[in-house]
Amino acid sequence: MKKFLMFTTVAVAGAIGWATLSFAQTPTPQLKVFPVRRNVYVLSGAGGNITLSVGPDGILMVDTGLANMSDKVIAAVNDLAETVATKGLSGENVAPPHPIRFIINTHVHPDHIGGNAKLALSGKTFTGGNVSRNLNEGAQIYAHENVLNAMAAMKPPAPFEAQPTDTYHTEYMNLSHFFNGEGVQIFFMPAAHTDGDSMVFFRGSDVLATGDIFTPGRYPIVDLAHGGSINGLIEALNRILEIAVPEFRLEGGTYIVPGHGRVTDSADVAYYRDMTTIIRDRIQDAIKRGLTLDQIKAAKLTMDYDGIYGATSGIWTTDQFIEAVYKSLTQKN
Amino acid sequence: MKLEIFRRTAPVVAIAAVLMLAAPGRVAAQGRGGGGPPRNAKDVAPIDLTGYWVALITEDWRYRMMTPAPGDFPNVPVTAEARKIALAWDPAKDEAAGNQCLPYGAGGITRMTGRLHITWQDDTTLKVEADTGTQTRLFHFGAVPASEEGTLQGAAKANWEFAGGRGPQAGETARGGDLNVVITKAKPAYLQRNGVPYSANAVITEHYDLVKEADGVQYLIVTTLIEDPMYLARPWQRSTHFRKQADAAGWDPTPCALR
Amino acid sequence: MTRSKRAGFAALGLALIAVPAIAQVDFSGEWAPRFYEDQMERVPGPELGDYLGMPINPAARMRADTWSASMMTLPEWQCRPHSADYIWRGPSNLRISKEVDPVTREVTAFHAEWLRSVDRAIYLDGRPHPPAEAPYTWAGFTTAKWDGDVLTTTVTHLKEGYMRRNGVARSEKATLAEHWIRHGNWLTVMTVVTDPVYLTEPFVRTTDYELDLHQQIPPYPCEVVREIERGKGTVPTILPGKNPFLNEFADRYGVPFEATRGGAETMYPEYRKKMKGVIGKRPPQVGGGA
Repeated sequence: MKKFLMFTTVAVAGAIGWATLSFAQTPTPQLKVFPVRRNVYVLSGAGGNITLSVGPDGILMVDTGLANMSDKVIAAVNDLAETVATKGLSGENVAPPHPIRFIINTHVHPDHIGGNAKLALSGKTFTGGNVSRNLNEGAQIYAHENVLNAMAAMKPPAPFEAQPTDTYHTEYMNLSHFFNGEGVQIFFMPAAHTDGDSMVFFRGSDVLATGDIFTPGRYPIVDLAHGGSINGLIEALNRILEIAVPEFRLEGGTYIVPGHGRVTDSADVAYYRDMTTIIRDRIQDAIKRGLTLDQIKAAKLTMDYDGIYGATSGIWTTDQFIEAVYKSLTQKN
Repeated sequence: MKLEIFRRTAPVVAIAAVLMLAAPGRVAAQGRGGGGPPRNAKDVAPIDLTGYWVALITEDWRYRMMTPAPGDFPNVPVTAEARKIALAWDPAKDEAAGNQCLPYGAGGITRMTGRLHITWQDDTTLKVEADTGTQTRLFHFGAVPASEEGTLQGAAKANWEFAGGRGPQAGETARGGDLNVVITKAKPAYLQRNGVPYSANAVITEHYDLVKEADGVQYLIVTTLIEDPMYLARPWQRSTHFRKQADAAGWDPTPCALR
Repeated sequence: MTRSKRAGFAALGLALIAVPAIAQVDFSGEWAPRFYEDQMERVPGPELGDYLGMPINPAARMRADTWSASMMTLPEWQCRPHSADYIWRGPSNLRISKEVDPVTREVTAFHAEWLRSVDRAIYLDGRPHPPAEAPYTWAGFTTAKWDGDVLTTTVTHLKEGYMRRNGVARSEKATLAEHWIRHGNWLTVMTVVTDPVYLTEPFVRTTDYELDLHQQIPPYPCEVVREIERGKGTVPTILPGKNPFLNEFADRYGVPFEATRGGAETMYPEYRKKMKGVIGKRPPQVGGGA
């Protein structure tokens, strides 16, 4: 199989050190793998960011990207696993790496769960004895139970193979054992981007995958139809800031992998939290003053941030954001 | 015997010759000049300062774009004597006495808003005209005429400072450098519009550096260091930046004004 | 050794000694900032609403007008250092050290560290910049090259920062170029900030430092504490159009209010025509002296 994975890290100044490694593969123009820390990587270009833990225990994926990118994602993930196992040296005589064993979905949107079926089927769950179901076929898929409910409620329902195999409904759940040398925690963020948001925390690597709660470079999507809310989203951003610990002078330390975009740290989240809160407050004030939605849009309350986060076209425009915040603040309950 | 010596030393001498040719500064450093007429300041200029330059007033705005209030000079490390003079400044009195041009002397002219037009008056004299205050400065690479002593712009002695500390030899292009100008014996005047003085004994040292951005825009950076024990408690330096213009657009000769 | 060999080696030795050095300047040393320009703005801090001489656009103006200084009390910002573009202007002493390649003896990097800040590496070894996915930092990632004796830098991966400490933001889409110049004991640095989000033109400043052989830069441990009791998730801000402080600077210093709003127009000599005849006011705290 042609290897198309480009694996590159580059040194960055200051307290954050990045080793430089690059070796030639045939690169895919769309997919890129970036090492975050220790066993954790992020694969971008398949829809939403896919966070990966790759190591001797196998592969854990946070999200699976778009359905039509699954084959490429599988190839990229397998290449990465082999690169990690062989330390990038050809001709190394090592055992084949373990496959995808766990998938955790941050939320129900297709650019994050689209690859569930294929990616899970390409993986494996190691079990035996009298454990029920065909758990030796495919990886386990974890998500909040609201994700399962949403997938089952789709018209038509999401394929069975794509649906979560395990759900939780409490404030958080922990993987029952270490994976690739560290604990993995899943935190539920209610009524944020959607009503089924999870964030995944790799405790040893100190990396937090947030899904679309945090998307630097665009205004946050508040999916009202799927139970999202602006106040819940702000609460979730603040929760990220409680979890994250910067290394020095408020940078580095806990790395945060957003739903889309580059690897970030707590300062980047703080800027985003500030922006979201400030715009929410402005719109709230306008509502109190009796302005209609059209008047609020005309007031250009987001002008000072539009150059960074705004859009006039595409999947999420500034107007859509304002409308979502307005409706979130004015809807009953 | 002579032939034998030549054979043995030829390779070593050949190597030395190649290195000598590759080291353009060496000949001059050894004092052995190549042929040709002596090169003048214009010929050996490591940078091209000629053209029109517009000041970008992004710093000290209140001191440059308008007249600051009497007594407003926190930027200046004045002596007690200078403070007394500055606190007593009265623009009306200065105007009545015809002192409108005092802020436009050698110690303050680069901080005035306006444009510069730099040309070669001759092969050894660089002319810097400022439209604000209609001032003309002459930077002499040769002898400085005594007639310029005691004038507002003083006696300005210029020399090139070459990058790497070595100038180009005949047929070579300099690898960069800057203009160094030392101005002395200027008429006592003001460091800024509100009467902060400098004395006739002030030594004003300027450097003119050129930098170029990736998009081709050129900037001129003028650093002005003033040493004046009578009125300055310590050496005082400011840096002023100008952007190159393609032409004389905006050139607007304007008389001196205190307000 | 024969006479012929001696002559040969002498010629070779002469050639080697006389090879000129690559144009480079040593920037390493202890550098003390000199506030001989914009002293009030750089040391005690800029006044609210002072955007004089800044080529800002309406978005930048709105962002600054709605900025509350109380933002700095948030735990996330208490220990934030000035970013690479602004720190030259701030009230911090600077130490520049250098890395020398043990084989080639070339300077491969400078490290600039200010009081209250982070180490900032300036690489001269030709390494590439990180990919777009890499984290952004306060110092950014800097490579540099020599233009004669001037060191010209290119900075990418800069976190969002500010161009002035009164809320005039600089976005993370901005690029920064610098030119480092040394004349004797003086270091002059020109910064050119190009920000497609908040500026209509590049914002250029030049700043001077003086070599200070006796300077000692102490550590500056910064501890995040709860400075103000406020509701969870509260972010201090001023609603658009509701900032009551914007006229204070103009009134206090006798500057026409329109000029304080900034914009590229206020950078150019033509603006002087609007200021002719204006003499400022001097607030009591503004004096003159060393």
